[in-house]
Amino acid sequence: MTNLKIKNLTVTVNNKEILKDFNLEIRPGEIHVIMGPNGTGKSTLTKIIMGDPNYKIVKGEIYYGDTLINDLAVYERARLGIFLGMQMPMEIEGVSNADFLRTALRSKNENFKLYSFIKELDKTVTDLKMGKDMIHRGINEGFSGGERKKNEILQMHILKPSFVMLDEIDSGLDVDSLKIVGESVMDYFNEEKPAILLVTHYQRLLDYIKPDFVHVMADGKIIKSADASLVKVIEEEGFDKIKKSSTSVIKENE
Amino acid sequence: MNKIIIVNDEITEKDLDNSISVTYSGNEFLSEIKIDILSDTDLTINYISTEETKLHLCFNILEGVKCNLFEIKNGLKYKLGYIYNLDKDSKINICKINDINIIKEQLIFNLNGEFAETNYLLKTISDKKEKYDLMVYHNASKTISNIINNGVNVLDGKLSFVVSGFVPNGKVDCVLDQKNRIINLTNKKCEIKPNLFIDENDVIANHSAHIGKCNEEEMFYLMSRGIEPKEAENLIIRGFLLNGLKQGQNEMENIINKYWR
Repeated sequence: MTNLKIKNLTVTVNNKEILKDFNLEIRPGEIHVIMGPNGTGKSTLTKIIMGDPNYKIVKGEIYYGDTLINDLAVYERARLGIFLGMQMPMEIEGVSNADFLRTALRSKNENFKLYSFIKELDKTVTDLKMGKDMIHRGINEGFSGGERKKNEILQMHILKPSFVMLDEIDSGLDVDSLKIVGESVMDYFNEEKPAILLVTHYQRLLDYIKPDFVHVMADGKIIKSADASLVKVIEEEGFDKIKKSSTSVIKENE
Repeated sequence: MNKIIIVNDEITEKDLDNSISVTYSGNEFLSEIKIDILSDTDLTINYISTEETKLHLCFNILEGVKCNLFEIKNGLKYKLGYIYNLDKDSKINICKINDINIIKEQLIFNLNGEFAETNYLLKTISDKKEKYDLMVYHNASKTISNIINNGVNVLDGKLSFVVSGFVPNGKVDCVLDQKNRIINLTNKKCEIKPNLFIDENDVIANHSAHIGKCNEEEMFYLMSRGIEPKEAENLIIRGFLLNGLKQGQNEMENIINKYWR
């Protein structure tokens, strides 16, 4: 079982600090949610964990299990079991979803079996209520926002990661699709017991995915962590109030 | 299916029904092939060049006629000139796949009658020197042109697309669309010159031109699923070259496999 551990991580992009002494630990079978105002580094955090080369780690470490992954390439992190369901999944013309997933699975698993792959793909497409033709279309080509998000969840089911990050997976989803996606994530969680890190702005996703920990992020660091009850406080009081109270606590401590 | 095979500058085989009329003329300097499209039809032309080939082709698409033209070229060295004359209500869909060393190609589209339409798609892998110069003349109102040039530049390749669209004053409701993209996997210079010469306000015109390596965000997306960089690049290139082909996928696959097996 593999923990993700981030220790005193400071990250810059174009010489601007995005994360400052950031700390977080997520264990297998835990669901963590990160919430916070726009532009505080939530999506950036997921990209840094995934290894986006646009971000530079100035100091600190990211461990996945015993492996320090700071300098690992993106594909090497993915092969360790790290998965990022993206906020705005790319459209890649001409590369069919089926070819893409087959290539990804083959590169991860030498014992790849085509029949099992097709069978699982077919089942997951049905469960997610996606059009059967989507699997043969270019990656996200002509997909609506909701279809793209479902496609991310489909990839999660097929690739079976042990650490799942879902960045605003609820945006662009109608109420019915939100329920399908939320339940599908929980089905995966119950089957595989991965660690999950969600980034969201809204409480509605958490009607389906029940978090163990909720973190509020501001200015590149976590300013408050609590259990799921924190979501209600955020809904009622907003981020500003939490940010102010957290700032005063920090000042008192100083 | 109508088919013509041209080896160097000569027609060596033709299998045509009465929808197409072909006349060949030539002298020691230049060979010329005139192809009249008389009624709705599909036509495939295979070009094979074993020596330096100079050829001029003129297509006349008669009023109300629709033609799907598929061309595949193999071989050494070409210097080709094309003229496509389209009458009223006529349409030509052209798909070209090139697997050649050196080519200099000039194409002139004359959209002479209202509602004449051309849809043009080129897919090529350039490993030496390829230059394509397209001129699209909207000589009548309500004419449509969609031009797509897709190339991947490899090894010692130099690839150039010059695409010019012309709409004179008074030719209204024309639609011009140009999409040119080169994935350049070398440090050699490639160029795209998209030109729109439009002397009329009532026109819809779009153009895009892109030269670069594989898109970094696309690479990140594929790699985030465990795919190695080289394999991700292969997937992107394969998709780029196969995308939009309604015919010739197998031929394109074979050409791709020569470079990226």
